[in-house]
Amino acid sequence: MAKPSPSPHKPRRKAKQAAHATSSLRNVNSAESMTRAPAFPLAAFLWPARGTVSQWELLPLILMAVGLFRWAAGLWGYSGFEKPPMFGDYEAQRHWMEITTQLPVSQWYFHDLQWWGLDYPPLTAYHSWLCGKIGSLIDPAWFALFSSRGSHDPTLKIFMRATVIVSEYLVYIPAVVIFVRRYSRLNGVATWSAAVALVAILMQPATILIDHVHFQYNTVMLGLVVASMSSMLAGRNLWAAVFFVAALGFKQMALYYAFSVFAYLLGSCVFPRINVPRFIAIATVTAASFAILLLPLVLGTLSDVKHGIDSRPDIDGPRPPLALFPQLADYLDTEAFYYPVVEQLVQMVPRVFPFARGLFEDKVANFWCALNVVVKIKHYPTALLQRGALVATLASIVPPNLVLFFRPRKDILPLAFATTAWGFFLFSYQVHEKSVLLPLAPMTLLLAGSHGLGKSTRAWVGFANILGCWTMFPLLQRVDLAVPYAVLTLLWAYLLGLPPTSLSAYFNEGGNNWTEWATLFIHGAFYLAMLFWHVLVQTLKPPPDKPDLWVVANVGVGAAGFCLCYLWCLGRLVVQSEILPRSWFQKKEKSKTQ
Amino acid sequence: MTEIYPSLAQCAVVAAALKILLFPAYKSTDFEVHRNWLAITNSLPLWEWYYEKTSEWTLDYPPFFAYFEWVMSQVAKLVDPAMLKVYNVEYDSWQTIYFQRFTVIVTELLLVYALQMFVDSSHGASKRAAQAAAISILLSPGLLIIDHIHFQYNGCMYGVLIASLVLARKKSTLLWSGLLFAALLCMKHIYLYLAPAYFVFLLRAYCLSPKSIFRIQFLNCLKLGAGIAAIFGAAFGPFALKGQIPQIFSRLFPFSRGLCHAYWAPNVWAMYSFMDRALIVVAPRLGLSVKEDALQSVTRGLVGDTSFAVLPDVTPRICFALTLVFQAIPLLKLFSQPTWDNFIGAVTLCGYASFLFGWHVHEKAVLLVIIPFSLIALKDRRYLGAFRPLAVAGHVSLFPLLFTPAEFPIKTVYTVFWLILFLMAFDRLAPASSRARFFLFDRFSTLYITVSIPLIVYCSLVHGIVFGKSYEFLPLMFTSSYSAIGVVGSWVGFMVVYFTS
Repeated sequence: MAKPSPSPHKPRRKAKQAAHATSSLRNVNSAESMTRAPAFPLAAFLWPARGTVSQWELLPLILMAVGLFRWAAGLWGYSGFEKPPMFGDYEAQRHWMEITTQLPVSQWYFHDLQWWGLDYPPLTAYHSWLCGKIGSLIDPAWFALFSSRGSHDPTLKIFMRATVIVSEYLVYIPAVVIFVRRYSRLNGVATWSAAVALVAILMQPATILIDHVHFQYNTVMLGLVVASMSSMLAGRNLWAAVFFVAALGFKQMALYYAFSVFAYLLGSCVFPRINVPRFIAIATVTAASFAILLLPLVLGTLSDVKHGIDSRPDIDGPRPPLALFPQLADYLDTEAFYYPVVEQLVQMVPRVFPFARGLFEDKVANFWCALNVVVKIKHYPTALLQRGALVATLASIVPPNLVLFFRPRKDILPLAFATTAWGFFLFSYQVHEKSVLLPLAPMTLLLAGSHGLGKSTRAWVGFANILGCWTMFPLLQRVDLAVPYAVLTLLWAYLLGLPPTSLSAYFNEGGNNWTEWATLFIHGAFYLAMLFWHVLVQTLKPPPDKPDLWVVANVGVGAAGFCLCYLWCLGRLVVQSEILPRSWFQKKEKSKTQ
Repeated sequence: MTEIYPSLAQCAVVAAALKILLFPAYKSTDFEVHRNWLAITNSLPLWEWYYEKTSEWTLDYPPFFAYFEWVMSQVAKLVDPAMLKVYNVEYDSWQTIYFQRFTVIVTELLLVYALQMFVDSSHGASKRAAQAAAISILLSPGLLIIDHIHFQYNGCMYGVLIASLVLARKKSTLLWSGLLFAALLCMKHIYLYLAPAYFVFLLRAYCLSPKSIFRIQFLNCLKLGAGIAAIFGAAFGPFALKGQIPQIFSRLFPFSRGLCHAYWAPNVWAMYSFMDRALIVVAPRLGLSVKEDALQSVTRGLVGDTSFAVLPDVTPRICFALTLVFQAIPLLKLFSQPTWDNFIGAVTLCGYASFLFGWHVHEKAVLLVIIPFSLIALKDRRYLGAFRPLAVAGHVSLFPLLFTPAEFPIKTVYTVFWLILFLMAFDRLAPASSRARFFLFDRFSTLYITVSIPLIVYCSLVHGIVFGKSYEFLPLMFTSSYSAIGVVGSWVGFMVVYFTS
């Protein structure tokens, strides 16, 4: 991107640039700044910006460049485009803008649940309300009640794309920029290397494909989580709690990280010495944040009751029982002023956490879906499956969170978040293939850490991302998005010097130790499998009795690869946290590369 | 010598990724024009190419371009044969779109190759600058907007032009430079605007002895003459046999069109028209007569023939004369000092003259100035000073080509990105001049660039909010008048630099 190079003539601003040169000299840690030639194409693009270019000149250019790719990708179709009767995620988001702007607050979680009923927490509802209000100023027909369903007005599409990009530039991008700055400083990484990492993180294909092409607002939630991590890095634990509650309030999926947030915050209250006031402060702020989050919903419901607006105008006769814990009604006075509020909050829970649905939906590359190929576990009773999922998830997330609890160190935060999210993704209940974004986000942030752009981390982060995109291919293919999938994934692989464009991330000039060969062998097998799978899907139709064969193959390979990513993250977490005695360390070192 | 990063190939890969993502973007009627030409060349015998008129977009490029379309149509056959039916007007299946958009990206590789030639031909300290200039051309927002969104094949043809300009750098390849340019003329006749500079340069540097202009190098003349004749023969010969040359020429040079194109290109006629519109308001007070019939065309916007209400009308003859005069002035210097730098300068100035004074100039023709100028813009700071307002004006003037809301962020963000990146990079790379800067030109260009920001904001946002759909011609008029000031200013500046260096 940035082209300017050390100039032959005198630059106008001398003092500032000298300061920058020293700041990058100070960091001997970064291998990249010492080398003579860029190790991968992305470094080549930023090569002329080493040393002399201020980050305030570089940052706007980076933000413009990544914005261009996002908007250009948005020119393609979205989920559910011209796919009646139900359309897709795009229609769901649009519909929420419709109901939040057109209906009284108390009806939001009750309105026609069969047609994309609101099933995200309240912050999404407020966000939809704001977007819907702005959109209605441009064209009220976009969000007219009922008549706007399934609208595919091309101008509406532009508006919707714009809301995604604006939301992202207000939340995710500032959060990532600040996180990268803090995290790289913490690890002693040069400013220039941090800029390379920033571009790599922002060009991450999976988030662009899901948010800007397929259509969702994941980056808002991810941005709030990154902001929470970033606050932890800065030592502002209260803000971390606030941001995390906001993330949870935007999308319940943020629960994947909840254990890590809890473990870190609790750990920081216990180690090195027990700090009760801090604990109380965090607990109070968290509770207050939840209260503020729900406040508009509660106030809206109360005001609706006062004005005699029923939350379910479609139902005549007596009030239907509560959605959860119907026995609760025995203890509460159904005519009391607070009852509608209880009803409202109780309604929200099963909407947001649909335990009634199956163990997994469609085909997702997690453990259960892969296991289902071998053993038809879908036939087992739901209660058993729920319990099994719970046990497996706990087993996978307890180790990383114990590490984080006993060693609440800032530099291991992304690793712990990534490990926990991998555990959830692989073993928990009701996982969607898009959920792979959650483990990918903190794992990709590792690029900004110590040796983040070194070969080993780059190879593993790249492997996880490319595998993640690949498992979402069936989802994207359904709405003819193979071209943006191929372009964005290959572009990212090319920029970071990863397979299938280059094998350079697997060979060191100096030592040729066996772990590198093992990594190359394992990754190589997966990359070949992905390539072979694509050829297969393009050329052959699956046998008629097994119409899902290709998707199942995708799931199997994906789940195996993700298990490796989980193990790698866990291994690195254990090693980096130095929780094990030195004598164990050598042993761990060997197994971690697997 | 160490490599310079990023390399052209790396930039081309990333740019190609963005261009593929732009496949579903808005495409102008030029897309249909080129589809129609694919169909004509593929399905009709050679003799009917220039007579076919099922579609209104008849073949109006010279024969080499038609051959080029024929070659592409051989591949198109395999992709979607339906796009090759002449009667399939406005056909745009996704295969057709992918194919045609893809051919633009593939043929642009010629530009990458030519730019690499350019970088390889520069040595020493200027190599880094040459690399920057080459990348600026490769990533030019002009090419992105015109070729990859609006749809045309300029990238490929500018590749030929740059290859020809680079070949002119060495004495041994001068002949090839001339022949390549002749071939380019047979592809797109707009390059005739640059032909005078080629003529003078080849005459002086190749056909006449370097020592004396009175000693003619007959062998060189013969080689050049025979080569050019062969190229033109290959292009027009088959048609000449059937006596179709007058028909081809009537297609290539449609003089029935008006002075200004539908949207005013930012040249002196845009300023002239703007003055005329302004005078309509003032004329009654000054006692000037206003032509009634011209008044209707004022609010009608900019489409159709321009007739002036107050100022005298302009004829093609006047345009032609002015163009020639302003082309001849720099050529005098080129004739006396036929160096490569002067040659590129003269090519640029020929582009300027024809763009500024030509009849029915299209705004896309501004690339004819920007691209050759880019090759020498980094020679020193004075050149850069003249280049800066051109870079801003030339690209801003292309904005009205894309008027759909979905492409608005692309064209503005990409152009602003390019301007910041390259003006910043050029600033660092251009060496100080050995001569003094002349008066306040740098201040003028800074002020000028600053004005572009409120202008873009007004034209794209404020006007729509305040006036809605009415007075649609206002933003267009402001854009072209603003750009015209920049282009004329940079022209004057460059003239001074050219003659004083």
